[in-house]
Amino acid sequence: MAGANSQILMTDLDFNTIKNNLKTYLQSQDTLKDYNYEGSALSTLLDVLAYNTQYNAYYLNMVANEMFLDSAIQRSSVVSQAKLLNYIPQSSLSPAATIRFVVNQVSAASLTLPKFTTFMSEAIDGINYNFVTTDSTTVAVSANTATFPSVSIKQGIPSTLSFTVNSTSNPKYKFNIPETNLDTTTLQVLVQQSSANASYQIYTKAENYLTLNSSSLVYFLQESLDGTYDIYFGDNILGKQLTNGNIVIVSYVVTSGTDAAGANNFVLMDSVGGYGNTAITPISAATTGSVKETIDSIKFQAPKAYSAQKRAVTKEDYITVIQQNNLGYAFDAVNVWGGQENSTPVYGQVFIAVKPAGAYTLTATQKQRLITDVIKPVSVMTVEPTLVDPDYTYIQMTANVLYDTKKTNLTSAQIQSAVKTAISNLAITNLNTFNSTFSATDFTNAIAAVSNSIITNEITVKLQKKFYPNLTTPSTYNLYYGTSLERGMFQSGVTSSPSVQFRNPLNLANIIDGVYIEEVPTSTGGLESIAIINPGYGYQFTPTVTILGDGTGATAEAVITSSGSIRAINVLTAGTGYTSAIVQITPNAADTTGALGAATATLIGRYGTLRTYYNDSQNVKTVFNNSIGTIDYVEGIVTLNSFGPIQVNNDLGQLTITAKPTTTIISSSYNRIITIDPYDSGAIVVNVTAKTT
Amino acid sequence: MATINKIYSDIDFAFTKKPVTADVALSYDAQAVSRSIRNLLNTQNYDRLFNPDLGSQITGLLFENISPIVASTMETIITNLITNYEPRAKIQSVKVSSQPDLNAYNVTITFYVENATLPTTTTILLERNR
Repeated sequence: MAGANSQILMTDLDFNTIKNNLKTYLQSQDTLKDYNYEGSALSTLLDVLAYNTQYNAYYLNMVANEMFLDSAIQRSSVVSQAKLLNYIPQSSLSPAATIRFVVNQVSAASLTLPKFTTFMSEAIDGINYNFVTTDSTTVAVSANTATFPSVSIKQGIPSTLSFTVNSTSNPKYKFNIPETNLDTTTLQVLVQQSSANASYQIYTKAENYLTLNSSSLVYFLQESLDGTYDIYFGDNILGKQLTNGNIVIVSYVVTSGTDAAGANNFVLMDSVGGYGNTAITPISAATTGSVKETIDSIKFQAPKAYSAQKRAVTKEDYITVIQQNNLGYAFDAVNVWGGQENSTPVYGQVFIAVKPAGAYTLTATQKQRLITDVIKPVSVMTVEPTLVDPDYTYIQMTANVLYDTKKTNLTSAQIQSAVKTAISNLAITNLNTFNSTFSATDFTNAIAAVSNSIITNEITVKLQKKFYPNLTTPSTYNLYYGTSLERGMFQSGVTSSPSVQFRNPLNLANIIDGVYIEEVPTSTGGLESIAIINPGYGYQFTPTVTILGDGTGATAEAVITSSGSIRAINVLTAGTGYTSAIVQITPNAADTTGALGAATATLIGRYGTLRTYYNDSQNVKTVFNNSIGTIDYVEGIVTLNSFGPIQVNNDLGQLTITAKPTTTIISSSYNRIITIDPYDSGAIVVNVTAKTT
Repeated sequence: MATINKIYSDIDFAFTKKPVTADVALSYDAQAVSRSIRNLLNTQNYDRLFNPDLGSQITGLLFENISPIVASTMETIITNLITNYEPRAKIQSVKVSSQPDLNAYNVTITFYVENATLPTTTTILLERNR
């Protein structure tokens, strides 16, 4: 049989290639010759051989794929690979809401709100969701009223399972919880001594294996092969071992994932301690929660969790630790930077900006828990973590679209809506996170791609900052736009909406309504510096410097050298309102020789002034306060000084300050997020014009 | 007849052994080709892995009412099948005659095989055997 083709190629996986390889191999002999004819017995045998070879090769290929984190497809394989990296994939997380719960007409001295007390939410998309308490809380009763000031309730159906320990049938002490959607943060494990002895001990999830010993009351958690969860116990070396007859009692909440996000109104489904007269006040609406971690996410997170080694040292470590928090908080984006990078460096601090999923900022309690329970236990001792809120810059975009009616059967309203959708979609992908860049060109291209009928389009961009003014104490607000701003005139410059109300300082009972903020037109401010053109000579005394121009209040003084020439002219008071200024140098009256000194003034272009105005009863525009704040055009900072309105005229009490950037490429860094507000109907304005021929 | 060089050789479908060497018996030339043709006729489309075109729908026709039209259709199918998949056989004739009493068709194929001077005739009885 040996011959020129006696080597068989073994690397192919395709059926036909394998069969051809076998045929090539058979060519090296001449006993059997009919392998090329489909009807022959030999060909039929080759089919069987090739199929068998291909089957094995395919199977082996799949097995090899499942052996590596990068190529595994089965969830169980990915989870198992992640386990080697000490990574437990995140389970589903229940949306969690906070309520204030009051029980009236209580006769006892104290009242306990038991674990798994059930509340029902308002209908969300037609479905009422079950929310439960995950711990029991006891408060003292005062004046027949028990007040639970802040009760955390989680969406889901509570469930309890009991397993009796039997070392013969279950020698590994592994117990399966047959739920794929349980929220593992709600998992509580009790071990009762025996059916005869009801005393129990609480076991906690093993986190830090260095501290485990033979008496540690811990359980280990893992996702099982079918996506449910297994808990198992120690071996008297790492964690206390169970003994025969122990009863493991597991309680948990099975959630519907993110469906109940935003629920804010609840009714009690049970009575508490037999008392039914209750009142519920919402404190914070249900968080988004999250579905079980996806395979892609596990593949992404597990190696990072491994490299972080449960220590927060580098920026990536912090991000991983925060993303994987076991508090049930889900984040859209996390950014971390060292305090030395701040414009005023702060050493020994790490700044962390987080954007929670489904909300703008974390509450103070959530921040505190994140710091103390998540970051501090793993961060370097001498480094102080500081959580900062994201600073949102909202984009208000106007798109002008010209389209050709002959090339489309869409109406202009349909084109308008399609363009709006295209802009929102691009904003969702490109923006709304830290370290993102807004580029007008991207949006122009996205609009052009909406329909072939769009001939051209342009977009103009304004930036908005939104804040809640303190209505009781006048305060200073610094609004960072993150890019240089354009100097404007009236409505093209810095504006505000909605209107606010002020007390008239001359008559405090008198309230002035309809007050707006605007940029003072052509406010060029004063003098920035004075440059010497000719130092002159022979000055015996310091000459007088006078600033001539259309503004007022600018003063400067000259400094002369010992040889009698002018060394410098320092601006003492910048003055205001200058659009041109001439520097006049006048020798002292006693000076007989000083002459020829000359200098020019540079006007301040960097700062502008803000004022407030209202329209009085005759509808005449009246300035209310001619200097309420300043604009730093270069750094893009708007400052409102001692700004103390008593009312903002909208439901939220939120004031929006709009400014125009000098560029349409805007990047965010640190805690800044650029976004298009999905709740602001005016955030995207699309003007569609049909081309007329 | 002088010994002629055998140009086709295939394993015997019955896997019988040679009496002397106990090796698997082989079939040669015209015999190999006629067995191959029989094999093709018994193969339905999609029987063969990764080669769905191989074979024919003759088995289906066997379940039709017996008629000259079916017999004629079978003749066409068989001729095409051999032309496409058995290039060793140069067909001289394909005759399909019905055997209504047996619920079967008798197929008689006469063909030339390269290297043989006389035509080979093979008769195959096609029955419903499902």
